Amino acid sequence: MVRRFDPIVLWQIVVGLLLLAAWEAIGDISGGMWTSRPTLIAVKLAGWLQGSLYPHLATTLTEVVVGVAFGVSLGALAGLVLGRSPIAAGILRPIVVAFYSVPLVALAPLFIMFFGLDMLPKIVLVGTVVFFLLFFNTFAGATSVDQELVAQIDLMGSNRRERFQKVVAPACSPWIIGGIKTAMPYALVAATTGEMLAARRGLGFLLSDAASQFDMTSLYAVLFILMLLGLAISEVTAWAERHLLRWRHAQG
Amino acid sequence: MPKGDMAGDMAGDMAGDMGGDLAPKIDLQGVGKRFVTREREVEALQPIDLAIQDHEFVALVGPSGCGKSTILNMIAGLLPPSAGVVSYDGAAIGGLNRAVGYMTQKDTLLPWRTAADNVRIALELKCRAMPWDEANERVAQMLTLVGLTGFEKHYPAELSGGMRKRVALARTLIYEPETLLMDEPFGALDAQLKLLMLDQLQDLTRQRRMTVVFVTHDLGEAITLADRVVVFSARPGRIRAIRPVALPRPRDVFRIRFTEDFAHLHESLWDELKDEVTRGTEV
Repeated sequence: MVRRFDPIVLWQIVVGLLLLAAWEAIGDISGGMWTSRPTLIAVKLAGWLQGSLYPHLATTLTEVVVGVAFGVSLGALAGLVLGRSPIAAGILRPIVVAFYSVPLVALAPLFIMFFGLDMLPKIVLVGTVVFFLLFFNTFAGATSVDQELVAQIDLMGSNRRERFQKVVAPACSPWIIGGIKTAMPYALVAATTGEMLAARRGLGFLLSDAASQFDMTSLYAVLFILMLLGLAISEVTAWAERHLLRWRHAQG
Repeated sequence: MPKGDMAGDMAGDMAGDMGGDLAPKIDLQGVGKRFVTREREVEALQPIDLAIQDHEFVALVGPSGCGKSTILNMIAGLLPPSAGVVSYDGAAIGGLNRAVGYMTQKDTLLPWRTAADNVRIALELKCRAMPWDEANERVAQMLTLVGLTGFEKHYPAELSGGMRKRVALARTLIYEPETLLMDEPFGALDAQLKLLMLDQLQDLTRQRRMTVVFVTHDLGEAITLADRVVVFSARPGRIRAIRPVALPRPRDVFRIRFTEDFAHLHESLWDELKDEVTRGTEV
């Protein structure tokens, strides 16, 4: 893509700077007790970037990545199996729906009691949230595979495995990737929520720790990092989607 | 005006012409199909008898909704008949009939595969176990044959309707099924390209002695290619007439339309068809 100068970008920068200046002015006038100030936050962030931030960032990222890996594989697998087997779906789907009706974040205290204070309970929580989102998406995909495509490869003499590999699984891939795209922000929410409840490390821990000490500057600094992290995650997934599903965006 | 009984006679004569004691490749005996929708029952096909011989090229012609596609679906084993028996090689068809290659009306290309990968898919299956190089070579030949060289790496969404039809044709022909079922395969092509495709289809299916059941609404296409043309009535479908096409092979698909025999046959078949077409559109 060729990047050309775009007046919109200029205006976006101007508006952003004005907002920061207004924030700075409010902090200046009010003393910054509740609002802190962008300059203080920037100094705080620069200090954290010297080293103390990384263990927290690594903890949260690990929880997200490992939890997503488990949740996506198990959720997609369950969705594919139940989506292709009406009997299994008839028996198990109501049970899955019943479990999903529990607000999943409410399971966090349970997981903390089961799995302790380190990364494991957060990984389980992230995995659970992602599992359900992937399950429902993949299930919808697997039940809507075009039967004519399946009939075609069957007539060509495919066995069950080939039918699955060459038609069913690729036909579900947009649904699975769509599920991952939806699930990523929830995964970050689940990880930080778990850390806020009980943790020794992680961005959620940093957030609740700052709040408990009325350290507004640190609190805004963590929020800023979470914002960047959320943006990065959605950019990466959007890029991956475009790349993996380029056959869908292809136009004649 | 010839009626159903005459059609039956013609079918009997043809069976005699094709070698008497030879069992038909595909045999429909009293085959009918009803579809039950939410509230009513629709009779798509009244019970018909039709025997198709080995290596024969049969065209089914008729107004839309007359059950032609239903017949193909039943021969492929995708749909059970509501009445009667469909046999293939003397055995009743239960389940899928894997001896047939089926080119459906809707092109069922896999949207995530490029044109070349779509054409290759049948060769990738274990039951053929073809070495990768050989498969690729045949894919390239096949794409040349249908005039799609240069479009190997295009996804179906990047191809026109006619190009997609040709990819589907290449994909079905490449694994040389002994019987070919085709449902209006060239509907989306322009007239010149259609002739080219008819020419290729005639060459390939006659060289490889395939049995072909070809559904079309284009009488000219049917006469150009077929050994026999079967005319169906409007819904509920019945066989209205069966005519052998005695034109010698190989036929010059580009010129045969201008011969006298072709014109006569076209006229007589059109007389059968036109009443049905007008009836069919009154619905």
